[in-house]
Amino acid sequence: MSMKKLKEALEAGEFTITAECGPPKGTDIAEMLEHAKHLLGKINAINVTDNQSAVVRIGSLPVCRLLSEMGHDPIFQLTCRDRNRLAIQSDLMGAHILGIRNVLCMTGDHVSAGDHKTAKPVYDLESVQLLQTVAALNGGHDLAGNEMKGATNLYQGAVVTPEANPLEPQMLKFEKKVKAGANFFQTQAIYDMDNFRRFMDRARKHKVKVLAGILLLKNAGMANFLNKFVPGITVPQELIDRLKAAGKEGALECGMDIAAEQVRTIKEQGIADGAHVMAIGLENKVPEILKRAGIA
Amino acid sequence: MIVSKAKERQDVINMLEGVKSVFLLGCSECASLCGTGSPEALAEMKESLEGIGKKVTGTFVAKTGCQVLGTKVELKANKDEVDAADAILVMSCGAGTQSMVEVFKDKKVYPANDTAFLGNMTRFQHFDERCSMCGECIIDKTGGICPVTTCPKGILNGPCGGTNNGFCEVSPDIECAWAKIYARMERTGELEKMRQIIPPKDYSKKMSPKVFVIEKKKEEK
Ligand code: SF4
Ligand code: SF4
Repeated sequence: MSMKKLKEALEAGEFTITAECGPPKGTDIAEMLEHAKHLLGKINAINVTDNQSAVVRIGSLPVCRLLSEMGHDPIFQLTCRDRNRLAIQSDLMGAHILGIRNVLCMTGDHVSAGDHKTAKPVYDLESVQLLQTVAALNGGHDLAGNEMKGATNLYQGAVVTPEANPLEPQMLKFEKKVKAGANFFQTQAIYDMDNFRRFMDRARKHKVKVLAGILLLKNAGMANFLNKFVPGITVPQELIDRLKAAGKEGALECGMDIAAEQVRTIKEQGIADGAHVMAIGLENKVPEILKRAGIA
Repeated sequence: MIVSKAKERQDVINMLEGVKSVFLLGCSECASLCGTGSPEALAEMKESLEGIGKKVTGTFVAKTGCQVLGTKVELKANKDEVDAADAILVMSCGAGTQSMVEVFKDKKVYPANDTAFLGNMTRFQHFDERCSMCGECIIDKTGGICPVTTCPKGILNGPCGGTNNGFCEVSPDIECAWAKIYARMERTGELEKMRQIIPPKDYSKKMSPKVFVIEKKKEEK
């Protein structure tokens, strides 16, 4: 089955599916490519993470290119943690000439979360300013106002945390990101549909597309970990109980059912414009989740 | 004030390898408040160095160690003690240490402290960093709270996704700068201002080394 690319799908008003590819640390990319192959024809676009959690891995850009050669529409995740404004702009132009057409603009996890804690974090820009930078390059000028020989053509995305606490400053930043040029948003993982609906009521006031973040729960332990250690993610007790009841063997199946139900609900009730399915290392399960959701 | 921390004593001893006699210089300003350059700190250092067989030729607490000319004049009275020392161990910030480098052209000068940051003393001998001297203050736009310094990512346009019930994802000991900024601007009725996008900072303003000369006002006729 041939899938529309991200921008086409969103603009056509189709329920859009994205998934994630996390490049490995090291040059053995066989497994990564295998997972990506599984997703061909099942998703509209694939995010490639950028030294996720501040852990050193292969760069996002070369992997985007490989996935694009494979037939995917990659989303180049770009953080401000590891590059200053010169490197950011040259990477954005580089992405364009490599045929990459989507960029997800993020500030990036702090180096203190990662595996090189003594590194110097850059943060010359942050997410809102990064969105402005992409908009400038798309308009044919660099951040200093210099004219470029050939503009970029990048579809700009950003992230938002619908369950952030406090929520109001997060919403204010969401609006700034819209103003700075974000076309689409991928959300942090959401589990409580009522909370998400309330968030979407506010997000819908803006002309942007929103993909709901669906994070596969592998077991009850993972759910508890998220609640305890990951700000902005809340897994309701009811889901934790379900995972527990499924037992050790059935937990993953149960988590896949939960993810599939979420995707189905969001699609059937038109809550958001699509779903961003994160399986963290279990990307090979994504096609099955989509099947259970009645999509693929 | 400039917050300084005493180096590990062993590091100081290693630094003084081959040095038989030292002159100790403290500072009565920040380093005294931090307890790293006070008369007590100097006395303790003297005792400790003598304990390992070094000779301490003299000690002096400068009024303001970063003031090069003033310190030079003050130290005239200690000329013989300084001359008799192989090296000067400076117990102030890095600026005070380099005042000595400038004054005593041929003398070895070593730092006893690590210079940490510009700090507010918020409780007795408890220092918080609130300004990192970026060269262009923008806190009129952020409710008087500096995100350049108090947000570990220096984010200028609102909280990241890691904001956590008023605390920062980077450490549970850090309050989220943007949660504080929002709360304060809400109280002061400035939330509208918070909607404006703050542009990237001009880091040329922070380029080192900096020089600043106060220009004399023209005499009024
Ligand atoms: S913006 Fe922050 S770092 Fe810059 S001068 Fe003001 S308080 Fe200091
Ligand atoms: S949680 Fe708040 S203070 Fe910490 S990095 Fe994010 S925005 Fe900055």
